[in-house]
Amino acid sequence: MSVMLTKFESKSNRVKGLAFHPTQPLLAAALHNGSIQLWNYRMGVLVDRFEEHEGPVRGVNFHLSRALLVTGGDDYKIKVWDIRPQNRRCLFTLHGHLDYVRTVQFHHEMPWIISTSDDQTIRIWNSTSRNCIAILTGHSHYVMSGFFHPKDDLVVSASMDQTVRVWDISGLRKGSPNNGGPGNFETFDTFSTVKYVLEGHDRGVNYAMFHPTLPLIISAADDRTIKIWRMSETKAWEVDSCRGHFNNVSTALFHPKHELIVSCGEDKTVRVWDLAKRTAIQTFRRENDRFWVLASHPNLNLFAAGHDSGLIVFKLERERPAFAVHQDTLYYIRDKYVRSYEFNTGADLGLLSVRKFGSAYVPPRTLSFNPAERAVLVTISSDNGLYELTTLPQQVQGEVKDSSVDGKKGAGQSAIFVARNRFAVLQKTTQIIEVRDLANSVVKAIKPPVQTNEIFYGGTASLILSSTSSVVLYDIQQQKTLAEINSPPVKYVVWSSDGSLVALMSKHTITIANRNFSQHSLIHETIRIKSGAWDDSGVFIYSTLNHVKYCLSQGDHGVICTLDNPVYLTRVKGKTVHCLDRSARPRTITFDPTEYRFKLALLKNNHEEMLYIIRTSTLLGQSIIAYLQQKGFPEIALHFVQDTNTRFELALECGNLDVAVETAKTIDRSECWDRLAQQALKQGNHKIVEKAYQQTKNFDKLSFLYLATGSTDKLSKMQKIADARGDPMSRFHNALYAGDIFGRISVMRDVGLYPLAYLTAKTNGLEELAVEILESAGLTEADVDDVPAFGLSTLKPPPIVNVTTDLNWPVVSIGQNFFDRALANGSLETGVEPSYVNGDATAGASSALDAWAKDEEIQDEVDPEEGGWELDADAGEYQGAEPVDEAGEDDVEEELPGSTPGVSETEHWVRNSPLAADHVAAGSFETAMQFLNRQLGIVNFVDLKPLFLSIYRSSHTYLTPVASLPPLQLHIRRNPAEGSLGRVLPVVVKSLGSMRIELSEGFRLVSQNKLAEAQAVFRAVLRALLLVPLSSDEEARQWRELVTTSREYLLGVCIELERRRVAEEQPDNVRRNLELAAYFTQCNMQPPQVQIALRSAVSVFSKANNQADAARFAKRLLELKPDAKIVAQARQRIAAGERNPRNAVEISYDEFTAFEICGASYTPIYKGSPAVRCPYTNQAYLPQFQGTLDPLVELTEIGAVASGLPAPW
Amino acid sequence: MDSSELYHVKQQFFLGAYKSLVDLSLPDPSSPNYIPTLVYQARAHIALNDPGAVASLIPADSDNVALRAVSALSLYVSASDATKQEAALEELRDLAVEIEGADVVGTERDKLAVRAIAGTAFARAGEVEEALETLGAETEDLEAVAIIVQIYISINRPDRAKREFERAKRWAEDDLLLQLIESSIGLVAAKDGYSNANSFYTEQLGNPSLSSPHILTARGVTRILRNEIPEAMSDLKESLELQKSDAETLAAYVVAAGIESKKGEVEELWTRLTTEHPTHPLAVDVAQKADLFDAFCAKFVVPPLAVAAAA
Repeated sequence: MSVMLTKFESKSNRVKGLAFHPTQPLLAAALHNGSIQLWNYRMGVLVDRFEEHEGPVRGVNFHLSRALLVTGGDDYKIKVWDIRPQNRRCLFTLHGHLDYVRTVQFHHEMPWIISTSDDQTIRIWNSTSRNCIAILTGHSHYVMSGFFHPKDDLVVSASMDQTVRVWDISGLRKGSPNNGGPGNFETFDTFSTVKYVLEGHDRGVNYAMFHPTLPLIISAADDRTIKIWRMSETKAWEVDSCRGHFNNVSTALFHPKHELIVSCGEDKTVRVWDLAKRTAIQTFRRENDRFWVLASHPNLNLFAAGHDSGLIVFKLERERPAFAVHQDTLYYIRDKYVRSYEFNTGADLGLLSVRKFGSAYVPPRTLSFNPAERAVLVTISSDNGLYELTTLPQQVQGEVKDSSVDGKKGAGQSAIFVARNRFAVLQKTTQIIEVRDLANSVVKAIKPPVQTNEIFYGGTASLILSSTSSVVLYDIQQQKTLAEINSPPVKYVVWSSDGSLVALMSKHTITIANRNFSQHSLIHETIRIKSGAWDDSGVFIYSTLNHVKYCLSQGDHGVICTLDNPVYLTRVKGKTVHCLDRSARPRTITFDPTEYRFKLALLKNNHEEMLYIIRTSTLLGQSIIAYLQQKGFPEIALHFVQDTNTRFELALECGNLDVAVETAKTIDRSECWDRLAQQALKQGNHKIVEKAYQQTKNFDKLSFLYLATGSTDKLSKMQKIADARGDPMSRFHNALYAGDIFGRISVMRDVGLYPLAYLTAKTNGLEELAVEILESAGLTEADVDDVPAFGLSTLKPPPIVNVTTDLNWPVVSIGQNFFDRALANGSLETGVEPSYVNGDATAGASSALDAWAKDEEIQDEVDPEEGGWELDADAGEYQGAEPVDEAGEDDVEEELPGSTPGVSETEHWVRNSPLAADHVAAGSFETAMQFLNRQLGIVNFVDLKPLFLSIYRSSHTYLTPVASLPPLQLHIRRNPAEGSLGRVLPVVVKSLGSMRIELSEGFRLVSQNKLAEAQAVFRAVLRALLLVPLSSDEEARQWRELVTTSREYLLGVCIELERRRVAEEQPDNVRRNLELAAYFTQCNMQPPQVQIALRSAVSVFSKANNQADAARFAKRLLELKPDAKIVAQARQRIAAGERNPRNAVEISYDEFTAFEICGASYTPIYKGSPAVRCPYTNQAYLPQFQGTLDPLVELTEIGAVASGLPAPW
Repeated sequence: MDSSELYHVKQQFFLGAYKSLVDLSLPDPSSPNYIPTLVYQARAHIALNDPGAVASLIPADSDNVALRAVSALSLYVSASDATKQEAALEELRDLAVEIEGADVVGTERDKLAVRAIAGTAFARAGEVEEALETLGAETEDLEAVAIIVQIYISINRPDRAKREFERAKRWAEDDLLLQLIESSIGLVAAKDGYSNANSFYTEQLGNPSLSSPHILTARGVTRILRNEIPEAMSDLKESLELQKSDAETLAAYVVAAGIESKKGEVEELWTRLTTEHPTHPLAVDVAQKADLFDAFCAKFVVPPLAVAAAA
């Protein structure tokens, strides 16, 4: 028992009384300031406060079966509270004590309350009649505690008079208790008598209690001792004392289950003692707080201690049982026995005793099982960590074996099997992981790369190391870190049954990662995470303190069921969760996996399964609808929403107008119609728009819609309606839209706008009508002769080009989807349950599947056509085609007769990769060349021949297993662990790493001034880089860097070689010589080589008497911090340049403007000037070189268009 | 049940310990082991690419079908032209028919040997269908199964090979040859990173009753497949020391060295392989690919080199 495991802590006023609720995670704390707190210690929340006592409250107790709490305080009052959440209140108060009340307690079966007080009495009350039914007198000082015996009619009390008394209250049960009312003391004494007076403490006694099962009493006193007393029928005597507290002992308790005593005192300690040996086992110290009270949970391994500034809830030992699951068997440890439990049969067997392993008080911490050797590796945290390796007996007969017989032990904090015959042990203090063989001898010692607190199995020959801020996947054999994920300290690790996924669990987070940690997702939990197990379908089921939850690999999670007490999940099978409870007994929980199965099906696009669930399950409620909506599947959610409002919303969201109309009719509210109209307008469904406008009587918009659709007859109807509504403006609009001149005129006449009516008639050539209007206005032509003459009006509605009145725009084809159809024909009613473990569509599918297949028909027909899957289509299309490939492949294989050759692995390689390197390895040179040509603009392949051949050659090997047969051609993969042919890829012959080595060889040659060789090396590297297969963005980035570096070096070397040629062949051409020397310094090389370039430039320039330039180069040289000797030379040059700041030869070199160097002419291309580029190396060239072969690597056509490398990862 | 001598002979043959098998002294001609041992020894000679030795080993006038079959195989392997090869194949075809008949000189075991030998020859000749038919679809001879499996693997039908193996597993229990078959399948249908083959060969290397560089080569090849190149190279190097001129080992070593990118060494070894064993499939295949390369290469039009105009 190395540590006390604190589960909960609170800060408050001094805590004087504590009580655990017998079934719920509630703790009542009585405070010195008069308040009583009700804590939910599991959730860590304050549930309620009772504040009716005046002054400190000391006694507090829960009723065992009813929702009652009793408290007693310094206000002499005893209060009984209803603690049901809905009506928390004080039920009644018991008056009678004449001084502080110290302790109160409910009787376990009678409606009695016992209380003790500083008035030197113990009282027993009937909580039904609310009367005092007995007063036990005899103590001659404060009575500090008084409790009922858990079974017998006895009471034990402790007093400041230095005695502990045992009272017989059997008379109380028999005789009808008095009704004589308070104050009538004499009558009580007849049925409650002092049975024993235990004397022995030489100071006041603070606490005394009965042992739950044995005839023992324990007492704690101010004389700093704890005494144990034994009783018989006739007498009681002191057995022993526990000494160790160095101040008053406040409380001492029997452990409810184990042979332990737990005590606390004013010396600021909580101590644990062995009841049998009366020796101290463990001491827990607090810095500043004296302990006043201790309480134990009646059923659980849980204690609470109250001190000066709050309370703590703690456990004395880990409850998490050590266990390991292998196939259908659970190996676990209960009560220090290794047991096996068969999930299928429920057979539970004890196999091995580990009683002698480590401390007797500490349960083993972990268990690792080795199926090959049928061995277990058990660890325990006592003695600073021990492990023991023992084989399990093949058969258990009679007495089970004890591990001490042949167990191999050692020190270590964490120990697990890592292979059939190896296990790893973590030495935490020295930070060494020892790999040991089964004989327990160290075969390897590893220094972990991070501060490691715990190790877990990490897959074959790998470990998972848990450190404070990260978790590391570590390869034991290579002794290197494979991956690292940031995470709070990982406490448990669970692998899925196929080993492809792993759950890394910390206190409040779960990281789900794949086998190599390359992908992971994180889940946060506010409640502490306890355990987890994988479902067969790759769903992780885990338990927190109060829930069983699930989480999908992409991070979605949800609740499956709630728990009263934590359990430790061991295995999930279908609808059953196997688990161990806190006392390490196997249990099962049945749950409904519908919700997560549905979500999983959704993730995998398994419509068949989803439909099945929709059909058969009733569980789907609001949460799943919200989920679907949130995940972008409103159309699926629509199928199981009953509520019309929600249906309407969803229908709008997914654009299902039919449903929207239908629901809108039911809802029939104007804002619904408005929104429907908007959505319908977007889709061009003007019929629904029309309907919606009609419903909301939106005449203006309706008219405009009719104008837009060219529906003239509707417009004339609208005129009539407007007339009926008496709305001349609307009539006018409609007449205008309809091009109905008579209508317009008549509106204007009706509203008395004769001038307008007249002019309208006039301008439309309706002379007679115009005259008529004049007449009705009482005017003649003469009266209006001052009106200027207008030409004929051209105002008329736009002509109808296409008749759309009866057509809806064919915008979005909503059509019937899979669900519509399946739900409509109801064919799945009798459907068989699809296998949900696998997302694949299975044979024997129902008709709904056939319906689904119809959608796919077109695609299916295409598949066989693709036949050889020639990849000479476009590389970009490659990825889309992949799944089709796999599906097709299975078919092909099934149909082939026996002797027909199958698909060669090289063909798989070709299919699986869009990279030239992989095609070369597969021998598909033609496609490889096409890729290189298209991706990087390579046209000249001649120099690549040796590369192609050597890569091809290195990708296949031969073996003859059976004599004299032709050797088998075997294909070397780079992912030998890959099982699916759809993902196999050829071995990496040219890797980035090997390229780097070759490149550094080139650097060396440059430094050694072997420029011709260096040039060859850089060219070779640039050629080989073409055929390096890449697998990630990071690699692609590194690849680009290597290409650029090699190019810069190659350019530099070429320039320098050219300079030497010029110097030799045209010694007069000093200018060119100098220019080239200057350009060489501009190549982006590493400092050692730049130094060489600069030194060469300095010497060439100073020879040519260009002292100023030479000095500038020398300055640049100094910036690179070369050797002292070189520094001295450079300084000289600078000095020379300062003396004589002139240049003899004028050169074309402007170091102050950024420029690139043309790779063909070796002349500068200043920033902003046009340039063409090599599609592979991105080397710049003068525009005149467009379309020629690049002279640097002689591979590409300068300026050709290339798509760049694909990223298939 | 085989006698322990014969078991040992077979073990040596299947595990490729041809040299020690060839050196073995023959049992008494009257012994029932005589003919089978002779056959295996002859086949070991052929496997060592020394078919000529068979003629001296087996009397020309032998009546036994198995001996006649193995002679025919040696003729086929050593034949220099197509007609001679065809003649040898015809002989084997006749034998395959003959063993169906009633009066056959030879035991049941000899008949099975004929089928195995004929199947081998047909497979060599590329007559896959004929080979499979000769070996028999429902054969309960593990050796025939081994040949069938290898044929299936060579035509990229691991599914069939597995089916054949599963079938054999039902009656062959845990025979050594069965393990060999399983490991051969494991070489193509990679599961658990070729662990089957790897552990089988590792186990057989530790087998104290024989030593066979062939097994070492096989493990080397497996290790190449497992991408354990340095380990593979050490295996192959060791094997190469034991059998200097073994084409298979040399070829595998070239491959491993190529992946390890040991440039100079690779080219040297490659030259050695192509000169010493020009008929090894690797050499043949690469030569073909080289021609292909030239053909494809010519399809691309190479523009003139960019040359700076003389300044």
